[in-house]
Amino acid sequence: EPQEGKRRKRSRFGEENIAERNLIGAQTVLPSNMTPLQQQCYILHLRIEDANMRLRTGRFGYSDDPSKRSPSPEPVYNGEGKRLNTREYRYRKKYEDDRHEAIQEMIKLNPNYHVPPDYRPPVQKLED
Amino acid sequence: PGLQMSQQQINPTRILVLLNMVTKDDLTDSDEYADILDDIREECRKYGNVESLQIPRPLPDLDVPGVGKVFVEFSSVDSAMTAAKAIGGRTFAGRVTISSYLDESKYFAGQFQ
Repeated sequence: EPQEGKRRKRSRFGEENIAERNLIGAQTVLPSNMTPLQQQCYILHLRIEDANMRLRTGRFGYSDDPSKRSPSPEPVYNGEGKRLNTREYRYRKKYEDDRHEAIQEMIKLNPNYHVPPDYRPPVQKLED
Repeated sequence: PGLQMSQQQINPTRILVLLNMVTKDDLTDSDEYADILDDIREECRKYGNVESLQIPRPLPDLDVPGVGKVFVEFSSVDSAMTAAKAIGGRTFAGRVTISSYLDESKYFAGQFQ
């Protein structure tokens, strides 16, 4: 709740350290002799691996404590009264979109890149 | 696999570079930009004296070097190393942060490659 009329800000830093928990076998301090292209590929690879891990395990990194989460959007329900934009759904979509974007950039930088086996590009809407 | 690099040289400097932390979109919004500066300055202070902090912002029709990266000048190499280890692997707005270093001479020449 607001205190003394001032908005209490929440840091964008998360509590978990992905590398410490060995969730992805990533090196988190980079060598100095990487070229900008190598650096770019490394970051893309990391984003893809991170999204893969989260989509596979369902660990989306949001807190169980509502006071530590950002406010949820207005609920959207389907015809049977089932909520569509659940937290799980929103986070899954966020990481699927992020993975898609990273994979597309990676393919541009490295045409030989092999996409993750469970990756399906989103269905493109046909437009005239 | 593929993310684990063989032993390569890391040459720490006083200039910590944080990658995969901010996107162009985050930096365009002025309120968001101010909040990001606050969050990062607050966090980095825990590891040592922060002498300066640079987060290049995108400009329309101009290719600004270093957009998407965060540069933090610590007063000592030790502080920069402590921060690099502590922050690398942490998430920032849901993205995994990666640490690196920049040569001091490049930082002060504004070569934010």
